[in-house]
Amino acid sequence: MLIELRVNGELRSADVPPETTLLKMLREHLDLPGTKLGCDVGDCGTCTVIVDGVSVNSCLLLAGRAKGSEVTTIEGLANSNTLHPLQQKFEEYGALQCGFCGPGMLMSAKNLLDNNPTPTVYEVRDALAGNLCRCTGYTKIIEAVVDVSRDMKAESDA
Amino acid sequence: MVTRTTDIQTEEDQLIPSQESKAPSSQPLSVLGGNPVLYPLELPQSDTRTSTPAVGQRATRPDGRLHGLGQTQYIDDISFPHMLHAKILRSEYPHARIVNIDTSEAEKMPGVIATITGAEVPENTFGPTYQDQPVLAYPIARHLGDGVAAVAATTEQLATEALEKIKVEYEPLTPVFDPLEAIEDDSPKIHGESNIYTSKIIKKGDVEKALKDSPHVFHRQYKTQMVEHVPLEPQATIASWDGNGRVTIWSSLGRITLGREDISRTLAIPQSRIRLIGTIVGGNFGGKNEIRNEPIVALLSKKSRRPVKCVFTRDEEFTSSTIRHPFIMDYTTGVNDEGLILARKIRLVLDGGAYCSWTGTTIGKGSILAPGPYNIENVFVEAYAVYTNKTTTGAMRGFGAPQVCFAYESQMDEIAHKLGIDPLEIRLKNGFSENSLSPTSQTLQSVALKESLNQASDRFGWKEWKA
Repeated sequence: MLIELRVNGELRSADVPPETTLLKMLREHLDLPGTKLGCDVGDCGTCTVIVDGVSVNSCLLLAGRAKGSEVTTIEGLANSNTLHPLQQKFEEYGALQCGFCGPGMLMSAKNLLDNNPTPTVYEVRDALAGNLCRCTGYTKIIEAVVDVSRDMKAESDA
Repeated sequence: MVTRTTDIQTEEDQLIPSQESKAPSSQPLSVLGGNPVLYPLELPQSDTRTSTPAVGQRATRPDGRLHGLGQTQYIDDISFPHMLHAKILRSEYPHARIVNIDTSEAEKMPGVIATITGAEVPENTFGPTYQDQPVLAYPIARHLGDGVAAVAATTEQLATEALEKIKVEYEPLTPVFDPLEAIEDDSPKIHGESNIYTSKIIKKGDVEKALKDSPHVFHRQYKTQMVEHVPLEPQATIASWDGNGRVTIWSSLGRITLGREDISRTLAIPQSRIRLIGTIVGGNFGGKNEIRNEPIVALLSKKSRRPVKCVFTRDEEFTSSTIRHPFIMDYTTGVNDEGLILARKIRLVLDGGAYCSWTGTTIGKGSILAPGPYNIENVFVEAYAVYTNKTTTGAMRGFGAPQVCFAYESQMDEIAHKLGIDPLEIRLKNGFSENSLSPTSQTLQSVALKESLNQASDRFGWKEWKA
């Protein structure tokens, strides 16, 4: 079936078998392997992307259901001049070790800050609760997200 | 934030030792026919051994940028033209003799290019300590995670469907799951004559006499459970067998030199014909320290003459990769009225699962650390690793250290409670200090145990909490 959707601002389409998940479509049909497959059952969150303003496990969403949607993946965070502030802070804080959870973790964090620019630590933890990381113990990740929101607040106050 | 390079550069100058060079002579010396180069024979004195500008500084990971951009290439992000996808059929029984495997129906499916069974593996055994593990089980399957056949097809889904068409005839054998049952003489045997495949004894002093003389003797059994590493990246391999008779394998393996030995053994080709590329690993924690599906994928590539990729499902990661050894630990400890440990007698039974894997390292480290970081004159440790028809246990962070720590620290608390001694006090009383002897009589250096305990308890307010 032909699926047309907007990925990272660009109109993309692919002819995929009906059982194809959004994750498979992104990775295998649209050549965007940044989004990872960890468990394929919606537990680990490493496949998180933003679909129409909502962070979703792309391994659970059929590509057909995302038809016509606006999808943002890890490949759409930075531009050719600058990293996204979250990418910058994750790097500075050493928030990623093996890095496999990174793309999903960053998309969940981005979605949180898009909807709530000044989250409490509790809200950060809550927003990342669906993203598992086995290396870091989460501390650096949470610190990095809080730091980004602090910077954003300082910028908007200025 | 200041960057790392500038920090190091400014501090580096101060680190250069102020004393004169330790060379035998500061004068350039030239003797005809002699050695024109003068040099001291002592190790260079360097302040970096005690202090370095890196400590206390925030260093950025060299790979952090790519991780954040989603550009790090893990195996599943690599693909090749005409690449096939492999899936492995797992055993239906925890213990069974495989009578027959019929792959013909699967092979007839369009899109299925190759199948393989254990009988086709040139040397169907591998393992880092004992070579007791089959690439694909044949003729005996020893746990539910054992692979019995594999398929390479044009898509992952076709390969999964093809597994259902493979007919395997089993003759079920009696399984054994409890390691204490497996130790008995009349238990079903998993490999050979005995299920005990490794043991270790550590003796120091006379534990029986010391226990008899101890005013208080404590006994308890402690158990720990299986733990899976759960790396977020499942085990993955790509193999490509080329027209030169060489095979290139991309693997998420953490130990590629050891892996190449095992692959060479199982494929029965020299190591010079194997190129093993360790890719960036999405989490290891010990679970990717030995080969897993590499020979299967290589042989499927040989048969199909195409690159073949195999990525474990999350289920397979739990059942078919290794896990942490569950321990059953019997601790008997004799103490005096002041809480000083006089003797400790320990029996460890390691549930090894179906194959040995890294049990040798685990039983060694577990046994040596079993008495705990305490000065004990009389120690006896006996440890046995036992085969059961369960998931293979292998390397995992700590190699047996966390299991025994749970036991000895639990018992320290019990002793402190019964004798009315502060739990911190009893540890300070018995704990290792500089030049203490380990249970295997190694002199210990740089021992900061008591300082660490004192600092930690001060910081979290132990005394205030007790008051």
